[in-house]
Amino acid sequence: MTNPILITGCGVVSAIGNNKAETLDALLNNRSGVGELVYLKTEHKEFPVGEVKMSDEEMRKLMNIRDNEITTRTALMGMIALDEALKDAKITPEMIPNIGFISGTTVGGMDMSEQFYLDYVNNEKHKEYIAVHDCGSCSEMTAEHFGRFAFVTTLSTACSSAANAIILGANMIRCGEADIVVVGGSECITKFHLNGFNSLMILDTKPCRPFDATRAGLNLGEGAAYLVLETEESAIKRGVRAQAILTGYGNACDAFHQTASSPDGEGAYRAMQEALKLADIQPDKIDYINAHGTGTPNNDLSESQAVKRLFGENVPPMSSTKPFTGHTTSASGSIEAVFCILALQNGFLPVNLNWSQPMEDGIVPVHQSVKKDLKHVLCNAFGFGGNDSSLLISKPEL
Amino acid sequence: MMKKDIYVLSAKQISVQQPLCEDWMTQPVDYQTPFNRSIDPSFKDYISPIEARRMGMILKRAIATSKEAIKASGLDTVDAIITGTGYGCIENTEFFLEALSKDGEQMLSPTYFMQSTHNTISSLVAIQTKNHGYNVTYAHKGISFDSALQDAVLQMRLGKINSALVGGHDELTPTFYNILKKGGMMGQDDEMCGEAAVSVVLGTKSDNCLCKLVNFKMLYKPSMDKLKAIAADFKADYILTGISGNHKGDEAYLKETKELFGDAKLLKYKHIFGESFTSSGIGVYVAAQCLKAGKIPAHLFVNPQEATDKKPSNILIFNHSDGNNYSLTLLEA
Repeated sequence: MTNPILITGCGVVSAIGNNKAETLDALLNNRSGVGELVYLKTEHKEFPVGEVKMSDEEMRKLMNIRDNEITTRTALMGMIALDEALKDAKITPEMIPNIGFISGTTVGGMDMSEQFYLDYVNNEKHKEYIAVHDCGSCSEMTAEHFGRFAFVTTLSTACSSAANAIILGANMIRCGEADIVVVGGSECITKFHLNGFNSLMILDTKPCRPFDATRAGLNLGEGAAYLVLETEESAIKRGVRAQAILTGYGNACDAFHQTASSPDGEGAYRAMQEALKLADIQPDKIDYINAHGTGTPNNDLSESQAVKRLFGENVPPMSSTKPFTGHTTSASGSIEAVFCILALQNGFLPVNLNWSQPMEDGIVPVHQSVKKDLKHVLCNAFGFGGNDSSLLISKPEL
Repeated sequence: MMKKDIYVLSAKQISVQQPLCEDWMTQPVDYQTPFNRSIDPSFKDYISPIEARRMGMILKRAIATSKEAIKASGLDTVDAIITGTGYGCIENTEFFLEALSKDGEQMLSPTYFMQSTHNTISSLVAIQTKNHGYNVTYAHKGISFDSALQDAVLQMRLGKINSALVGGHDELTPTFYNILKKGGMMGQDDEMCGEAAVSVVLGTKSDNCLCKLVNFKMLYKPSMDKLKAIAADFKADYILTGISGNHKGDEAYLKETKELFGDAKLLKYKHIFGESFTSSGIGVYVAAQCLKAGKIPAHLFVNPQEATDKKPSNILIFNHSDGNNYSLTLLEA
């Protein structure tokens, strides 16, 4: 790509921290945020989850939400991450009308709808929440807290939503539609998808073990993260530095099954290959891969195949950070992109926690803390339905 | 940034009007009830009976319109499949929510869940057409289709793709119609609500196309000044508006089009197709078919006395979804 796309700021909230500093500390000290269900009211207490360690009330207080203003958990987490991202990139309120906002979510306001559904059907109670059920309204609720953005839209591709939001933002900048776009995603845990995933029998009642021979499923997580994408010209004019560069990205469809990944990981392979091609970077220059690595028997095998097809004998260090946060579904693409940025900035490889036994035909992940100078990293996000995306993030040239 | 020539090669629909054809131009189905479901074709040419049995209507319609649109485009395959859906797969979401609310958290159906996620539509079309290309779903209320269209246009301008299947799919059950009406999101005043499945194929070559896609823009809560500045690039003889029977929305359409486009002739389509989150996709379909046919049916004119047999050379589709999200799509014969 001729004109680099800079990442000039980012913000994140997940089970391992309410901001970047807490997140970095957890990653460096191998401290997982997955544990017993505390906030979500559900019968299924048997599943470990990665909840954000704040109640809706606590998040409302943190963001100074007025008493008469309604919110949903996904929007609240989005606001917290967006707040940090905007401050990180030194974006002031006057700049907002010239900035785009692209968010990824699948549940939207479902945390409220699932509680009030019978009221929606049978009576007039809680009807003010009807208008905030859908994905787009959730993005608008998040964005409105900070001002009137130039454009707002919402992607919903399940677990690759946030990654695809990042890709759209990059394409918009390359077309000259905007100089600055804030991109990412947010998703809270809901009874709807906890039960949905359970009905598919892909949840583990123990902490997940991606790429391990004994892996038995995923743990759900929640969180939000946003990146500020910006042209070099705009950054120089504003006097802000790049934290990282988005050098490549790819999106391909597995076109195999609505929930399972193909045995040879075709979609994943094509997405990663496209990212490398766009960045004009050879496979041997990749220093680390942040895997999608959910810990399901299916994903980890499929992803391993795709990676081996692309890198041959020389698979770079690779790990899944989902044992830290759980699978944050729609937000995972941007949350894990922030982990990649932190890894680039601080020179370390995030550990694939809970791993002890190599799986058959799989990759062996990073399982011990390692300090390493990183230049180019790949970040994978694969969604249900074979919506596979990959981001290539690089350290800025000094 | 070099502007690439982009053409609408084909556009197919299943809606409250006769499906997969343009009968609405001469014999529109007239509706007196405020909520109507689509007229469905037989799906046996598109989906095997075994698959169809477990497939919701929104998915069947997406497959049928997609396959028809690809066939009509003359292309063997498309480089990208980009879909917009405002509310996603409502029927399956409803089944799952009902079961969750009434029966609790045991014994829930995986099929309902699997087919309830918004992106299941786009991915199923890819599975059915064996397409590994770029595949993305937008879910942003009344600009979901528009967002999908924007993505296709951006990527074609960047030269990343030369063709795209752009879809807009929404369904509406009686239960959800009542919920959305209660929530003030649709069905206000004289508005007729319907369902819409639209598949449009875009390409870079003009052979056998329906029309040219000249310009596209999406805005969030723009000021009138901002709109005026943008409108300068979207001058057209005919403006296809989303006038629907919602009094507040209709008044806004009349006021804005007058201020932005002066005396351009106003058209409407929701009086026969109904309001849905995907109706902007129907708008693009309607405009494209009119340009190809070389005629705008008299019943589309907001002011009947303006109806003319003159061949239209351009139509602007002007969408101001919920008064906040604007899109302008300029098509040329």
